[in-house]
Amino acid sequence: MCLGVPMQIQSIEGFQAHCEAKGIERDVSLFMIQDVEVRPGDYVLVHVGYAIQKLEPEEAAATWQVLDELFESTELEEAEGRGPTDGSGGERLR
Amino acid sequence: MSDAKAREWIDAIHQLDLPARVRVMNVCGGHERTLSMAGIRSVLPKNVEIIPGPGCPVCVCPEEDLYLAIQIALHRDATVMTFGDMLRVPTNVPRREVRTLEQARAAGAGVVPIASPSEVWEAAMQNPGERFVFFAAGFETTMAPVAARIAEGLPENVDLLISGRRTWPAVATLLEGDRAAFDGLIAPGHVAAVMGPEEWLFVSERHRIPTAVSGFRPDQLLSALHSVLRQLVEGRPVLENCYAHAVPAGGNGQARRLLDTVFEIVDAPWRGIGTLPASGYALRPNYAARDARVLHADLADESRKRMGEMPAGCGCADVVLGRIYPTECALYGTTCVPRSPVGPCMVSDEGACRIWWAGGIRSPEDLRTLHA
Repeated sequence: MCLGVPMQIQSIEGFQAHCEAKGIERDVSLFMIQDVEVRPGDYVLVHVGYAIQKLEPEEAAATWQVLDELFESTELEEAEGRGPTDGSGGERLR
Repeated sequence: MSDAKAREWIDAIHQLDLPARVRVMNVCGGHERTLSMAGIRSVLPKNVEIIPGPGCPVCVCPEEDLYLAIQIALHRDATVMTFGDMLRVPTNVPRREVRTLEQARAAGAGVVPIASPSEVWEAAMQNPGERFVFFAAGFETTMAPVAARIAEGLPENVDLLISGRRTWPAVATLLEGDRAAFDGLIAPGHVAAVMGPEEWLFVSERHRIPTAVSGFRPDQLLSALHSVLRQLVEGRPVLENCYAHAVPAGGNGQARRLLDTVFEIVDAPWRGIGTLPASGYALRPNYAARDARVLHADLADESRKRMGEMPAGCGCADVVLGRIYPTECALYGTTCVPRSPVGPCMVSDEGACRIWWAGGIRSPEDLRTLHA
């Protein structure tokens, strides 16, 4: 859970940002980074629905590269029938 | 391992004049996942061991807390909402009884897996006539958002079962006694981003053990590892921040203030390990009316606090403390596999057993090929 997912801010309303990553859209709270100036187009690291820090675009891209590899191997493992049989824990952003 | 930067760090590590055996601990499931999935152990000098340590909050969530959550779901008119990882973690009750939140759900109880605390708030707002219990286990990175959500306002129909833990007190416990269990520490990047890197100064200053804060990419972990190993060779242990662009001095002040507003620091039990001083987050007294521990105290089984161990034969507690590798547990890969896990380390995405299995380190032989 402490890995965090980089997302790009689409729009901001108060402490709520509408964010996007890999075609998936989520509302993300900016409550914890209210001291930090962010605007649409910026990247943030999202942890359980909260932005915990602002990210440089290169850092966001590099982190996604790692996440892609991790998710790929997890999916492969589950496809092999060795992963959990129930998808209840699978609400992670994919 | 095609990445050029990673390759440079690997070369630099191989050029160091290292002792015959070096043990570096990491204390974050996210770090362990990158290390295992990227195959970093296989490209290191064979005398360098990387030990997965206490990096899985779900793994150390007390059995009695999980038991209480299951009892609330079964016997109260309330829906228990919790992070997905918790659903399949077994309690120690007899097999004929309901042992997991997932089984409680199958039996018709209200149990809903979530990925964000906001989902609890949304459910509560949409169903004002129903009651919800948010069961939250996690380290600082999770508890800060939980604190933020609570501080923003707690709906009337949401109660809280908090099993939050702090990372550094577990490492402090490992460093008690005559001999440290490791020679270097890779400190968790996102915990440090929230709490500040200074929390880890005690490792290098008081215990003279090289420490580096790391990010989560392979090249970042390799740079942190290089820092720790170089410090060891030079005999000058410091705390180096190898994730500086994300980890400012003092961490995230807002997050720390929120944590302090909502929670107090308490001595807290870690499953299979015992009570560690100042290692837990508990709701401040002004939230007592919403504390599920208080509200449902009649469902708690006091005797579980003594029984609150790992399942019989399960080596999870020793895995969490880095005393054994997952492959050294007698149950690993035999009766305990991801499809039918015995202990929490095989359930959680942050559990070392689950990660090693996914990463293909599945037998003592697999491990032997990595180390001299």
